[in-house]
Amino acid sequence: MINLLITIFAPVLGGFVFGIERIIKARMQSRIGPPVLQPFYDFFKLMDKRAYIIHSLHALMGIMYFIAEWFTLAVLLLGNDLLIAVFFHVIAVLALVIGASSVRSPYSVLGGLRELMHMISYEPLMVLMAVSFYLITGSFDIKTILSFNGYPIFQMPLVFFAFLLVIPMMLQKSPFDIAEAHQEIIGGPEIEYSGPFYEAVYTGKWIEYIYVFTFVFLFGGNHYWLGILLVIFTFIFVNLLDNSTARLDYRKMVKFSWFVLIPLAVLNIILIAMWR
Amino acid sequence: MKLNKFRKKSPWILHYNTGGCNGCDIEILASLAPKYDIERFGALNKGNPKQADILLVTGPVTKRCKDVLRRLYLQMPEPKVVVAMGACGHGGGVFRNFYHVENGVDNIIPVDVWIPGCAPRPEALIDGIVEAIEILQTKSKEKEYIRNHNEIIDKLGAKDD
Repeated sequence: MINLLITIFAPVLGGFVFGIERIIKARMQSRIGPPVLQPFYDFFKLMDKRAYIIHSLHALMGIMYFIAEWFTLAVLLLGNDLLIAVFFHVIAVLALVIGASSVRSPYSVLGGLRELMHMISYEPLMVLMAVSFYLITGSFDIKTILSFNGYPIFQMPLVFFAFLLVIPMMLQKSPFDIAEAHQEIIGGPEIEYSGPFYEAVYTGKWIEYIYVFTFVFLFGGNHYWLGILLVIFTFIFVNLLDNSTARLDYRKMVKFSWFVLIPLAVLNIILIAMWR
Repeated sequence: MKLNKFRKKSPWILHYNTGGCNGCDIEILASLAPKYDIERFGALNKGNPKQADILLVTGPVTKRCKDVLRRLYLQMPEPKVVVAMGACGHGGGVFRNFYHVENGVDNIIPVDVWIPGCAPRPEALIDGIVEAIEILQTKSKEKEYIRNHNEIIDKLGAKDD
């Protein structure tokens, strides 16, 4: 029941998370920051702008990104395979990449290519995480994982560590905000969207927050207090990292992911498989 | 639901320097910094014309960037407001009647709000943005044309639109 509610109200919930994040970010820079409802004000303002598109495929792919993200979250929360949710997330990001590559703006095309670099950095780790959940709880099903009597975080600490450093890649946070680099390629894939179509991309990002933090919550098993603590810790850690680091090159991101994070996750999976 | 009351809650700013001395730009950055913090009012410095509401122009439009300024204006979706900031934007300032200068923002695009001063203080900038938001709320989202657009295109020598 609560899964269904979270799925239906995912954009609203994600908007609140985004608003709180903007306040936390402002407080970390000793500013006051916007009100909590600021993302919704932006939402309604963008709804009132003149619809202004490049061509119809580009606008469709912006809306497709939003729908596919929401569908991914529904697949994840309404009790299906974790793996299928991970693969639907690939489709959502691919919609953004196709839209970004279909226009003539070089910033947009560059952003699309960098988004693909993001994808090859974090998607293998998402699959490895689903596999290690399977090894521990015996199922890819979210209901079985959430009723698993144990602490997945203590059995797969290295996977959690790797996932903690992959979240900045998924949410476009600072050491790895390469696709959306606001100072060099102004927004990357989202640069050519405007008005109601930018709103779709903007709201898709809020749903991505819920998608990522659902995975963090799973690390608590059936100890929901632990899951909530992990979500709060991850939220603050990611924001701290975002505010205290500079942007890296895309090569460094891919190397860091493939030579450090993925071997760590694989090592953890090997240890789990040996002790089982 | 009247949606245009939300326009005052999130004015996104596009800032463009048309060849000034960067004094105004430093004041704009100061208004984003902790002391003045215009993100309290929802204002963001977007840097992208397609997602901005307020075009904040500084400097005496030089010949190199006059066509860029016109294109930035045309790329912003309506409703939009243009704010000219600093003495250079108001008819050239110290650069008036130089050979390379277009004598102010108003010779290229229509300006709604003027912020005087050289350079204006951040308080003056915030005051100008508040004024711009009030004008923004009265504008419609129909397509807006530059008055005497063809003359301006002739003057700029832009061939491809």
